[in-house]
Amino acid sequence: MSTDRSIVPGLETAALRSEPFYRRHLPLIARVGVPVVISLLVGAVVLAASGFNPLSIYSMLGREAFGSLDRIDATLAATTPLIFTALAAAFAYRAGIFTVGVEGSFAFGGLSAAVVGTQVGGLPPVLAVSACLAAGLLAGALVALVPALLRAVWGVDEVVTTLMLNFIVSGVSGWLVQSYFLAEGQANSATGYVASAAELAPLNPPNQTNGGLLIALALVVVYAIWVKKSTLGFQFAMVGSAPRFAVAQGLRVRLVIITALVGAGAIGGIGGASHTLGIVHRYSEGFSATFGFTGIAIALLARFNPVGVVVGAILFGALNSAGSTVQLFVNIPIQLIDILQGTVMILAVAQFAVPRLLRNRRKRRGATVEPADIPQAAEKKLGDTE
Amino acid sequence: MTNATGSTHSGPAADGVEACRIGASGVSRSFGPVRANADVSFAVRKGSVHALIGENGAGKSTLMRILYGLDFPDAGSVLIDGKAVVLAGPRDTIKRGIGLVQQELAIIDELTLLENLVLGEEPRRGVSIDWKRARADAKKLAESVGSRIDWSTPAGQAPIAIQQQVEILRLIYRGADVLILDEPTAVLAPAQASQLLRLLSTLRDAGRTIVFISHKLDEVIEIADDITVLRAGRTVASLRGGETSVQDLAELIMGDGAVIPARPTTRPPGQEILTVDRVSAVDDRGTQRLARISLTLHEGEIVGVAAVAGNGQEELAEVLIGLRKTNGGSTRLDGADITGHSVRRRRRAGIAYVSADRKHEGLALALPLTDNAIATPRLGSLGAHGWLSRRAVQERARAIFERASVRLGSPSDPASSLSGGNQQRVVIGREMIDNPRVVIASQPTRGVDIRGIGFIHELLRQARDEGAGILLFSEELDELRNLSDRIIVLQRGQIAGELPGGSSRSAIGDLMLSQTAALQTITGGAPFSDNDSSKGPRS
Repeated sequence: MSTDRSIVPGLETAALRSEPFYRRHLPLIARVGVPVVISLLVGAVVLAASGFNPLSIYSMLGREAFGSLDRIDATLAATTPLIFTALAAAFAYRAGIFTVGVEGSFAFGGLSAAVVGTQVGGLPPVLAVSACLAAGLLAGALVALVPALLRAVWGVDEVVTTLMLNFIVSGVSGWLVQSYFLAEGQANSATGYVASAAELAPLNPPNQTNGGLLIALALVVVYAIWVKKSTLGFQFAMVGSAPRFAVAQGLRVRLVIITALVGAGAIGGIGGASHTLGIVHRYSEGFSATFGFTGIAIALLARFNPVGVVVGAILFGALNSAGSTVQLFVNIPIQLIDILQGTVMILAVAQFAVPRLLRNRRKRRGATVEPADIPQAAEKKLGDTE
Repeated sequence: MTNATGSTHSGPAADGVEACRIGASGVSRSFGPVRANADVSFAVRKGSVHALIGENGAGKSTLMRILYGLDFPDAGSVLIDGKAVVLAGPRDTIKRGIGLVQQELAIIDELTLLENLVLGEEPRRGVSIDWKRARADAKKLAESVGSRIDWSTPAGQAPIAIQQQVEILRLIYRGADVLILDEPTAVLAPAQASQLLRLLSTLRDAGRTIVFISHKLDEVIEIADDITVLRAGRTVASLRGGETSVQDLAELIMGDGAVIPARPTTRPPGQEILTVDRVSAVDDRGTQRLARISLTLHEGEIVGVAAVAGNGQEELAEVLIGLRKTNGGSTRLDGADITGHSVRRRRRAGIAYVSADRKHEGLALALPLTDNAIATPRLGSLGAHGWLSRRAVQERARAIFERASVRLGSPSDPASSLSGGNQQRVVIGREMIDNPRVVIASQPTRGVDIRGIGFIHELLRQARDEGAGILLFSEELDELRNLSDRIIVLQRGQIAGELPGGSSRSAIGDLMLSQTAALQTITGGAPFSDNDSSKGPRS
């Protein structure tokens, strides 16, 4: 052992570095770019089959998304809620928690902000906005609390609970609006408009992009620093990528799980509040254009990379804003945008299968027996140990 | 008594007269640096029961997989009917009349026993299955081996012994006259086991050939016509069943290489640190694995734990670090009850844990080495107010890497970039850095190169000399002999006996393998007062 003391750099690292080549080395651009390119090709086939020139339609889409300052502003306005929802999903995924409940938190946050917003007319704007955002945060977190406790204490699968809770939240929100917060003279189920003091002002009036974008970007930055530098953020990564290890090391697995779910709900709730204060100024039925679910797709594309979250949100925001106006000029099938988004989502999800497929192929080829996949066993243990 | 250094090896078909139905000639198979089989030769006479025995890792399973065409030898060949053949895979093997019963039965729970029996070979009438004939065949088959089976039972509801019988009968139904059974009695209660042995001898008497892998030497003596002993991948003996004894077999299995001088503590062990008092626990499937086990660990001693796989050693390690719940008994650390405590609390109280499953529990392979080094409940001390200090993190990681002489490129490389031996050094370094009170070390040198082994042993000895109590779980008997101040042997979740550290391999082996090992305390040391539970672990 005396000859063994020195740390020799470079030895036996390069050759043995075999494992997730795919995950670590493929740059973010490729991970986001490949699904996008493939989905554009799919869309091109659909367009060509419908008798359109794909290139001209795509260039029109590009112009409508980024062709002028006004269009860029519209794209960023459509991007803003997606940054919140994608960040919320990414936050939970970082800890290996797959939440689909951001949609519910977004809606409930939006409702709470609208309700509070109608009551804060007398306050200075900073306080009014803060109160509404806080209400959104709390409401979003509240929605996520039940799945969080179910998961952390009894190991109940969070995908099922968060998905189901979306429906409950939607029903409860509708009932609350109808019973307590209905604006007078409204046929539809909608609250009154928030006080002007509580509005998030447009950055470049009369366009729609508003202070919510700055809040969203600030949250992304905070997340990026927190996850790298904080002890809890560190444990998020541990629980997310090596759950059994985290348990055996006595890390705070239960706290991580609860924080991941509740935190995702809180971020989604702030997103809903920002959407209320900045764009629609009230809560009405159909408040969220499935932002929560689009956010999942973006988070899957980006994994938990903060830059990826922003890039992905801009991408989907551009599709949304351009898609809605292109319709005005050309009679393209309205479903084109859905096809493009859907293809990207499918490919984003499919990426998760790639490392496993590679592993299976290795297993089939080599006779070395790798231990069986961990997740199930690990999850079982996560449930009952801290 | 047979000399155990390999001189008793006699070649295949030693008698040369009787027909060899299946066998191996000079089979070698390596996995990386591990030689699972090295020049293995043996021949199974037609119409005999041939037992294949050896320690864990002696190469039995690899050999069995090769015989069945699931794996292929690097050198040498499989013999069928005396001729060297190249098997094209299990399908080909079955066609040649050879069937395999693995420990995990290939029974489909949702189907009835009858459906399981004929699955894939259903008797047909026109396009439909001829169930009448299937039932008649099944009845005849069961009768021919003197067994009564209710064929309409859903397989999932049948006892495991019946499932196993059906699996054997299925192979016969498909025309197999050679049956390879991998530890078939491991999953059975004693009464069922003797029933299975009777079934096997019935089949033998009907002219079938049986290859039988087992750890239970009294069974082997009872039923086997011939016995082949493997050790470290080599055939060390081929014997006739009637000409040997459990004692001889145990010695052959263990071998007794050069006696390694044990290095016991220079001073007597100090006060009790860890006390396990009548602890019981079940495994993930709910099988009772620890049955009111009691033991004590003192300051400054290494206690080795020896057991044949599945006798509760994994569960004991997991219980002690808090990964597994107990269903009875209590655990005390320095006199304070820690029975229900979490992993986190135990680690904070000074219990360290080296997991046998390095890939999943010992390390986060995809994450940087630094992160792997600092991931303990003491994380919070590497900074303040919930934030990590970069400097504190790097200093601690470096201290760990230096202490364990880890050879690494960059600390930000993922743990998977290191060789197995260096990975384990990271684990050991991390667990030892805070001078733990108690170390639960499970297979600490598995997959580690020789130099790494020596180094890890030295670290463990150092920790002991500094006053830690170490519980060492190992499949390597030499490691146990070399490191332990005393060795306890587990059987069926209880302590079968205790030996001094330097005991011979065969002494340990006897205790591990004996069915009747009573609750004997062979040497001094802490007496085990309270494991006189009359209930067996499988009750």
